Amino acid sequence: MANVANLSLVRSEPAGAAIEVAGVSHTYAGREGAVPALTDIAMTVNAGRFVVIVGPSGCGKTSLLMMMAGLRHQTSGTIHVQGKPIDAPDPDRVGVVFQEASLFPWLSALDNIEFPLALRHAPREERRARATEMLNLVGLQGFGARYPHELSGGMKQRVSIARGLVQDPPVLLMDEPFAALDEQTRMTMGHELLRIWSQTAKTVVFVTHSLTEAVYLADEVLVMSARPGRIIDRIPITLPRPRTYEMMATDVFGRLRDRIWQQIRKSA
Amino acid sequence: MRRPSPATVRWLILAALLVFWELMPRTGIIPELFLPSLSKTVAVLVKDWREYASELAVTLYEVAFAMLIACGFGILTGALVGGIALLRNLLLPVFSSMYAVPIVILYPIFTAWFGIGSESKIIFAGVYGFFPVMLSTAAGIRTIDAQLLLAARSMGATVPQQITRVIIPASIPTVLTGLRLGGALTIIGVVVSEMLTSAAGIGYLVTRYRTILDSPHVFGAIVMILLLSILFDTLARMIERRTLVWQTAGRKQREGEVAEVVTRAAPAPV
Repeated sequence: MANVANLSLVRSEPAGAAIEVAGVSHTYAGREGAVPALTDIAMTVNAGRFVVIVGPSGCGKTSLLMMMAGLRHQTSGTIHVQGKPIDAPDPDRVGVVFQEASLFPWLSALDNIEFPLALRHAPREERRARATEMLNLVGLQGFGARYPHELSGGMKQRVSIARGLVQDPPVLLMDEPFAALDEQTRMTMGHELLRIWSQTAKTVVFVTHSLTEAVYLADEVLVMSARPGRIIDRIPITLPRPRTYEMMATDVFGRLRDRIWQQIRKSA
Repeated sequence: MRRPSPATVRWLILAALLVFWELMPRTGIIPELFLPSLSKTVAVLVKDWREYASELAVTLYEVAFAMLIACGFGILTGALVGGIALLRNLLLPVFSSMYAVPIVILYPIFTAWFGIGSESKIIFAGVYGFFPVMLSTAAGIRTIDAQLLLAARSMGATVPQQITRVIIPASIPTVLTGLRLGGALTIIGVVVSEMLTSAAGIGYLVTRYRTILDSPHVFGAIVMILLLSILFDTLARMIERRTLVWQTAGRKQREGEVAEVVTRAAPAPV
């Protein structure tokens, strides 16, 4: 927080584990007793990596992400972020981008991006400068005064990403952020996200239903089974970076997507 | 031929009504006792403006205090009932069904308790206006998008910050609607209670002149009440529009301006 103004725009070398999930299980109280939602999840995300979690609906992937954000508590097991356990939201370590952009409709785009800084009473000029920097990073220069209802779905998610990055947390968690967008916008946003990621050196965990999106974005794809969710496959995506749209037409891309699909189908 | 705008049509209808009001009694189609002509009503208002002004002052004084009670207690109770699950489950059904009760039946009791002066009107109208304010405040707080609170929590918002920075601004639109409805009801409450039992106020004028069959004076008082209600509603809507720039302002712009800005910006963000 001290030097929020100097955002590192150079990707640092991956160093150590940013997120460590060990033996995480979760059950919740349903109508007919305890329902197991997650069983024995173990995963490590190294710093600077882009990891995508896919799985059938209701497999608990969003729950897992909320636990990494400190917004929900697992029944058992531990989650460490940046070497420390996370048991409450900590914006210094984790930024979250939700499926619905979840922007405050009474605040302009810029004020929305400033919101996390305003919560901790950062000086006004610093807030403004930092938020403007983020607005530019997500390609919305000149749109700061717009209210959310004056922005398209894709633009709202850009604002939401900027808000997630404004406190410069090393980890960004994204819960199906592009699910509500149309196909073309979704492709563009995926590409934009990779650009932003490559400029900011964040560790990203990204939950999605779209297999194409998963392969296109990820360093590694984790496949979860139907409820109770387990990690049933870890697929390294070896496609070179920067990723291009042309790669989607290649055999490698197709085989990777097919492997994920087979795993999901088997489990469901 | 171009079709006239809805605003023009509205003004034309109003003008037609006023002409109708003037002509019907004059031509004798409707007896003056039932409907005194517009010009006679206005003449009475002009001639006895002192009387109307002093009675209006009483009514305004009562309305102001009644609104204070309705809004103050309404927002406070609504916030508690909307925000605390236990209170909500206990009280909301009670309040909702009480809203359906014609509270005017309590007015005789209020006059027994507080006399026939301004106090009983203020309290009666305050109770009358309390319900919509309280219910809409509760609804506004209860229907807040849970995603917004989750997002705020993820950014490290403390509970007081969640209240001041998310819950309050998010519930303002519904609360304002409740204030407009509740405010209108307090005006009704004051006027009705003045008509029933009192010695002052615009409502009292209506009753007094009706008993002596002085129709122009009755209509003069009715016109004052109409103007008062319209003024309040206009004012309330203006405040709503001002406060909710983020809800309404965009709608006008979205039609042309945004599209223009989007196409102008390069590279066009999606």
